[in-house]
Amino acid sequence: MTVSIGAKFGNSFERWFERHLRVLMLAPAMLVLLTLTIFPSIYMIVAAATRISPNPDLPWQFAGADNFLRLLTDEQFHVGLWNTLVFTVFAVGTEFLLGLGLALLLDRYIRRLNFLKTILMLPMMLPPVAVAITWKLIYEPQFGVLNEIMFRLGLPLQAWAGDVRLAMFSVIVADVWQWTPFMFLLMLAGLASLPDEPYEAAAIDGASAWRQFWDLTLPFLKPIIAIALLLRIMDTLRLFDLVFILTGGGPADRTKTLSLYIYQVAYRFADPSYAAAISLFVLFTTVAFSTWFIKRMRLAD
Amino acid sequence: MVRRFLFSVVFALSSLMATHAWADITVLVPSGSEGDGLRAAAADYAKLKGTKVEIVQAPYSNVFEQAANAGQTKSGAFDIVLMDDPWIPFFAENAHLEDLTPYFKKAGLEGPDSDFLSKSLAICRNPYNTGPYVCLPYVGNAQMFFYDAAKFKEAGIEAPTTWDDVLKAAKALSEKGGGRYFGYVFRGGQGNPVVADFMPIFWSYGADMFNGDRTKVTIDTPEGAAAMKTFMALRDVSPKGVESYNANEVGQALAAGTAASSINWPNWVATFEDPSQSKMVGKISYSPIPAGTKPGSSEIGHWTMGIMAAAKNKQEAFDFMLWATSPEQMKISAERGNPPVRKSIFTDASLTSQEKFRHYPVLMQAIEASTPRPRHPKWPEIENAFGIELSKAVAGTETPEEALKRSQAAVEEITGIK
Repeated sequence: MTVSIGAKFGNSFERWFERHLRVLMLAPAMLVLLTLTIFPSIYMIVAAATRISPNPDLPWQFAGADNFLRLLTDEQFHVGLWNTLVFTVFAVGTEFLLGLGLALLLDRYIRRLNFLKTILMLPMMLPPVAVAITWKLIYEPQFGVLNEIMFRLGLPLQAWAGDVRLAMFSVIVADVWQWTPFMFLLMLAGLASLPDEPYEAAAIDGASAWRQFWDLTLPFLKPIIAIALLLRIMDTLRLFDLVFILTGGGPADRTKTLSLYIYQVAYRFADPSYAAAISLFVLFTTVAFSTWFIKRMRLAD
Repeated sequence: MVRRFLFSVVFALSSLMATHAWADITVLVPSGSEGDGLRAAAADYAKLKGTKVEIVQAPYSNVFEQAANAGQTKSGAFDIVLMDDPWIPFFAENAHLEDLTPYFKKAGLEGPDSDFLSKSLAICRNPYNTGPYVCLPYVGNAQMFFYDAAKFKEAGIEAPTTWDDVLKAAKALSEKGGGRYFGYVFRGGQGNPVVADFMPIFWSYGADMFNGDRTKVTIDTPEGAAAMKTFMALRDVSPKGVESYNANEVGQALAAGTAASSINWPNWVATFEDPSQSKMVGKISYSPIPAGTKPGSSEIGHWTMGIMAAAKNKQEAFDFMLWATSPEQMKISAERGNPPVRKSIFTDASLTSQEKFRHYPVLMQAIEASTPRPRHPKWPEIENAFGIELSKAVAGTETPEEALKRSQAAVEEITGIK
């Protein structure tokens, strides 16, 4: 008797288990998603619409759109936005051109030198903090290797990351050094997957190397280029570690990026509400840009 | 298999609890000598009293962030925070710190004893020097003027007592140095560094950020302009790139013998007197901050211990603080490299007779003549705004006059004082 009740219970549990298997399998992932993404996002939206005092005894006050309107008149936010855009355009542009150039060079002419590819990829494997500290030491005006070389060559010494005219350039160089290999890797993968036939046909038709590159290579590589640019742009819009260590946003605010400013507002000025408003601005701008870019490049197809 | 997995989870959780949750007191301290000193004291206290004191060490700016976060969320993560003194108004006025008055009463004391330096005690009261005690001073930092006496003598200045003396010697030394040696060096990095090295000059020309009753911002004044003029003249004789310098760059320049003078903090004395780190052992002299049109005044930068309002073991935290700031413990702390805050330790012959403590008389004088950074709960924001304008002036992207004008406007905006 007992056995049959047990078997009945076991069967109904099995049926329930089978019916809900998909939900059960998804549950842990959904729970993680809810805890780590959805809840913080909702919390951030609520924080941006309120005024949170550093005093825990004071209640949150509804601020409506005040924190967002503040973005219009906040000079430091404008400086951060401008610097982020300048950095993104020049860093990603240079990385793309260098990455593509190196990939073409290595794919066509020095294909067998695999160790060269490994060496070229090394910077990408380093943690950004290590890269920033290395470049800080290279740029150091008194004891840095760069000024030592300049001195030996009889060239005028520079303050590099400490000079208002060179600070942004110095940060861009460090980023280009680290992330060009990423572009190079993607471009190399793209080049390796190109079919040979169109090139053979073009060669028979007498098309020059430049013509082949412009009319065949570039159009074939378009999806890879688009993905590489998108990933890097999204990354550079969030630039923090490199400037935090290398320049701290200075001198004279020349390298202050939006991420650095958000950090300052949230943690140094203890104003999480305004920091949430700036973060939401960055989030929506990035999403809007990515959507437009994906449509423009027809990546969805 | 399942049983083994569950056992591992339980074991891991209990290990975590054993290392963290069982501490009687948790203390947040900065990296560097100040935090290391308190860590060592905590280990001694644990051995002596059997109280487990856990030390959480973080870089300078993270200490403020973590303490502010704990205070704002009432998390009770820390019982004691070792704070830089300009943070006190923020923590005290936002109800993050415990008023120490009832704890002193319970211990049968009126307050801290009279052996503490008066300026060291004044910063631990909020409002400054008049309010109740919200912390106890632990590390007696105040800026001093560091200089290479032999080089200054070569340049015709025996012992610099005014900024004009410093400028005269620094100009001569930089001109002679041919771009490899400089008469003066300072922290010109945006934010805290440039503000910290400008404020003593600002004060020594009679300027201040606010008027006496704090009803007016007074940065853009003739006194401020005079201080700025000297600051710009000092920039002109400093190394190229000084606009990005922080404490390390300044300390290295002095230790390597590539710069002759700077304003600096006493914890650098140990580095300058250590042959493995310095070429200038025994060659650097220490003096109070030079005068401008008014007597010189150091910026005070004490490290102070406060009890968090949400602390779990407040009485034990107070007992530890009282023990750590006692004369006996302060002497041990001084021997470990942290300047004291008690007169009896500054004048202790067994210490001052040693070469590594020869700066103590000057440091005590500097603390007695020091000024705190403007006491305002929004100091981090004020310092950031002022630091940006000073950085622009040092970098030459705006004139000193513009920097003062814009600083005045920015501080008015932040504080709401017009």
